[in-house]
Amino acid sequence: MPKVDVTVEVCGMAGDGTIAAGGLINEAMASGGFSVLGFDSYPAEIRGFGRCVARSRIGSEPILALGDQTHVLISLNDEQSGVRVPFLAYNALVFFDSNPPVYLNEKQSVAAAVEPGMTLIGIPFSDLATSASGSARGRNLTALGGFAAVCGAAPELFRNMITKKFKAKGEKVLESNLKSFDAGYYYALSNLSDRMRPLFALPEQSDVAGRLIMSGNEAIGKAALDAGVLLYFGYPITPATPIMEYLAKHLPTRGGAVIQMEDEISSIGAVLGSFYAGTRAMTATSGPGFALMTELITHGVMAEIPAVILNAQRGGPSTGLPTKTEQSDLHAAVFGGPGDSARIVIAPTNVEECYYYTVMGFQLAERYQTPVIVLTDFYLDNRVEDLPVPEASEWEKADGNLYPAADSKGTYKRYAVNESGISPRAIPGAEGFAYTATGLEHTERGTPDYSPENHMLMTEKRYRKIWGALADLPAPVEFSARGSMDLGVIGWGSTFGAILEAVDTARSLGYRVGALKITSIYPYHVQEIKDFMSRCHQVLVPELNYSGQLANVIGHLCGKELIRLNQVTGVPFSPSAILARIERILKAGAL
Amino acid sequence: MKTAGRVLAAKIRSIKESKAFGIRSSELPTWCPGCGYFGIHQGLNACIQELGLPHHQVVTVSGIGCAGRSPFFIDTYGLHTVHGRTLPVATGVKLANPKLTVFAIGGDGDGLAIGGGHLPHVARRDVNINYLLFDNSIYGLTKGQPSPSSPTGTKTKASPYGTHDRPLNATLLALTYGASFVARLFAGDPAGIKRALMEGTRHPGFAIFHIYTSCVTFDKFFKTWANLKKWVHPLPEDHDPSDLRQAFDQVLEDEFSTGIVYSRKYPLPGVS
Amino acid sequence: MSEEHFVIIGNGPAANEAALTLRERDSKARITIVGQELKGQYKPHLLPDFIAGAIEEDDLYLTGPAFFKERNIKLRLGQKVVGADFRGGWIILEHKEIIPFSGLIIATGARPRIPETVQIFEDLMLTLKTPADAKVWIDRLSEVDSVVLVGGDLVSLSVTDALVSLGKRVNFVIDEESFWPVPFSYEIREQVARRLVARGVRVLSGCRLMRVRRLSATSLEVVTDCETLHAGILGAFFGLIPNVKFLSRTGLDIERGILVDEHLKTRFDHVYAAGDCAQVYHPAIRNYWVSIGYENARLLGRIAALNLLGGKFTVEVARESIFRMDSIRVNTSWWMEL
Repeated sequence: MPKVDVTVEVCGMAGDGTIAAGGLINEAMASGGFSVLGFDSYPAEIRGFGRCVARSRIGSEPILALGDQTHVLISLNDEQSGVRVPFLAYNALVFFDSNPPVYLNEKQSVAAAVEPGMTLIGIPFSDLATSASGSARGRNLTALGGFAAVCGAAPELFRNMITKKFKAKGEKVLESNLKSFDAGYYYALSNLSDRMRPLFALPEQSDVAGRLIMSGNEAIGKAALDAGVLLYFGYPITPATPIMEYLAKHLPTRGGAVIQMEDEISSIGAVLGSFYAGTRAMTATSGPGFALMTELITHGVMAEIPAVILNAQRGGPSTGLPTKTEQSDLHAAVFGGPGDSARIVIAPTNVEECYYYTVMGFQLAERYQTPVIVLTDFYLDNRVEDLPVPEASEWEKADGNLYPAADSKGTYKRYAVNESGISPRAIPGAEGFAYTATGLEHTERGTPDYSPENHMLMTEKRYRKIWGALADLPAPVEFSARGSMDLGVIGWGSTFGAILEAVDTARSLGYRVGALKITSIYPYHVQEIKDFMSRCHQVLVPELNYSGQLANVIGHLCGKELIRLNQVTGVPFSPSAILARIERILKAGAL
Repeated sequence: MKTAGRVLAAKIRSIKESKAFGIRSSELPTWCPGCGYFGIHQGLNACIQELGLPHHQVVTVSGIGCAGRSPFFIDTYGLHTVHGRTLPVATGVKLANPKLTVFAIGGDGDGLAIGGGHLPHVARRDVNINYLLFDNSIYGLTKGQPSPSSPTGTKTKASPYGTHDRPLNATLLALTYGASFVARLFAGDPAGIKRALMEGTRHPGFAIFHIYTSCVTFDKFFKTWANLKKWVHPLPEDHDPSDLRQAFDQVLEDEFSTGIVYSRKYPLPGVS
Repeated sequence: MSEEHFVIIGNGPAANEAALTLRERDSKARITIVGQELKGQYKPHLLPDFIAGAIEEDDLYLTGPAFFKERNIKLRLGQKVVGADFRGGWIILEHKEIIPFSGLIIATGARPRIPETVQIFEDLMLTLKTPADAKVWIDRLSEVDSVVLVGGDLVSLSVTDALVSLGKRVNFVIDEESFWPVPFSYEIREQVARRLVARGVRVLSGCRLMRVRRLSATSLEVVTDCETLHAGILGAFFGLIPNVKFLSRTGLDIERGILVDEHLKTRFDHVYAAGDCAQVYHPAIRNYWVSIGYENARLLGRIAALNLLGGKFTVEVARESIFRMDSIRVNTSWWMEL
């Protein structure tokens, strides 16, 4: 079975149905058993001018990252597509409307932009759509039909998805859409037989029944629901808003609600109030909003109140680049806020982990009585992947609270110091255990106390408690052969997919390299990381931030200077960029 | 001397015998003797006792400032949060478990300065929490700076030449923000505070209690006990708390009338 | 000079030579080649060798896209020009794109000609101009062993060699309608016929193709006024006619090909034509001639480019070497290699 690894891009102007077409490609190919990773970019402004690009990498083996080059470009608006040409493979296929409604000048035509090795495939999208369905609106589907025909993708995959998507809109709409698709499909079969380029031999496995296409945001939303969250307090901010919107729709069906607060400060305040009173709540934000939450996060640390905060990182600092991806809030998440305020910070690396880590976050928050920050980024939140239906087990969703023993009523001390650092926590409504949680340094009973020994004791208690969470936090995962390596690559968040692909390629080229995936950013697994680093002759840490924030935190565990690969371009790492660096390092270091 | 001692002992006895005692925590208040907050607490404690609210079903949420210390002195669940965020935290507590009775407590700095942005929204949402705003027109805990309700010309170490800004009127703000229950009270009248608190607690929406009080340590010129006793008087007998326009007129005309200024009538369930 | 956009229509020897010449002389101007065929420039004289199996397909191609990229010449392949506005200074592509130019060289070449009398049988005949055509020949030859070639031009002779080397039986009909390189005389015809016979070919000289009929998937009936033949393939080699139909309503003077002066300029300033598609004015004969052939095309392409840039070069053609064939004049000065 030949290996499939094709990147397809649909490009158009806002309003052309670009994103919808990309979505259909993702769903159709996933339903055929392919692994899919899709990522769309939209115009930054709402006005509607501007380029939409829906990019999908489709493969017969699990896709870890988006590649550099696109193999098929479907142009719904030639003027917008022109700028995508430099990102096409030298022999890419370019589908375009061979009879546009108006004449184009050279600058507006994608045919003018392509390189000689690329194959232009002209299909009269608008004409076919109009004659099939009465309007040119379905031309994005016509283009998909042509694509399916030329590239050998089973048309039934698309027709089934179109049916699924448009059935609710009525028989007429559905039929018109299917006709538009078929028009393109049959035109291509009849007229373009000299340009067929079959790319999608269906993969062997067909256990697709239990697979979904989901975005990071959807996974997070579903995780919150499954974890029993009843209250979501939040403030709109790109790119976290879709989580709020998802929960706004679904929480009421579970007896919960989304309360849009007046700012991020009140959002985290309400989350803490809710957890204090025993109900799981959540908020999601991005850099600027997270900064506002810092004070209350440290309050949660001091008063030992659980909270779950999702920070969907974007370009910074400050308002930064709202629609671009970055991984530059690690420092803020781990260290932000006054004082020694250690809290738990975890970071998923793909959509499936977005789900499971968010669920895990609630249990961790309750068990360790602390705010838990889940770090994702714009790219991870907005991209879609195929995955088996995520379902947290009862064990994963279980209540993590440690309640006081019934017989401790008279002697209850909320902040009792013990070995684990976890003091039983009474929930309001429990008779005989009333206490006041405070952000002031306090005695075991919770009353304000600034004495020297007490502050030392309490700070140690809180740190001991947090570092005790290592027992429950996922350990770093190594991808390498046992024993020593010439180079180890350590990464976190959405960058890890690109790292793994680069390392896999490097190993197939004969290099002795390995990769280490870190998902517990704080506390971090000192021993495991140290062990990995010591077995590597050199260590490389690629991150989408300028200062090398993960490297800064774990660098001290390494006996030698870490090599940093930093990129702040607003776009994710490509595996080839990491591979190039790996090769440069290994060739330079070669004897 | 002996008379003072006997008076004090009698006072302690009466406090011990009053129902209010059972709710005090074992912590001794950190407020200065003569602070108005004692009176407010008397009213609050009496309200809780008289309403028969089980102490473990009551949560006091407070911000930063002298008023913010309140949860420590009352034997209920408490949440002493950061400056200005009393109201959203209290919102979270109440929504998490609506069976709890939630009192949000803060001063005029906490509520009108740093926390000023939250008041309109908690009023809009009409969350069923009870907000006690202790207004002594000064920042006491940080040792005497002007507050948003200090009158123009207030002289403090931070404003030696006198302030230029005009003061905010918390009751007027509450009405403007559409709060559904607004009471203006005086710390020197714990019984009045108790009565208003009882009605406001039973009120099924957001209730704000704007309480004039005195900081004996840092305000020797404006809200002294002498001045307050002189200025404060009850609302007119014929004041109709269900009439919003009357409430506005009243508050615009008269800054020191006390009582229930406004209380929105909700339609009874089952009645169109 | 930097605002200049020179556009060349075609991707054969004339077009490529023109593009290279322009780039040699002007390093800044934009130069775009727009060719209808998907693949790059190929060597037409090697097509018979390809059919014979003596060379691979890749050996047919001259230069890769990298060659043009290095010289900053934009190569647009598989894109068809359907119209032009020479006064306004733009050409129109099939997909409704308008390309403005400041200088244009039309070098669309020529395609195999089928005489009107037998045009209705066009579908039953194979011609040979492009690698795609050659592939069709290769495909069909795998199923048949006899071929009839009609007409007679230089290409047909090379094809004959190829067919003989593949062991096919060849009947060659030297048709009077054909585009024969030299004035028809009985002696020349006999000379050619003898050469062909020597290669193992059966020659029907002075016959004319009348009718063609398909008998089966691999068999045709070819009827001439001499005799009736049966073969698997009928190859038509009646010469070439210029590819200029798409320009018919653009105001250019077109007879068979585009009429240009001795400097290869059309009636529009900044619009030149070169190669097989052009008919060039010869002051000495006061008439136009068509040149066919690889080397000529390159030469004309070069001259057109130089003249577009302001030169005044002419093609050196002795009037004696211009023959009148089938109503047009042909320069056959280099065709003496029977």
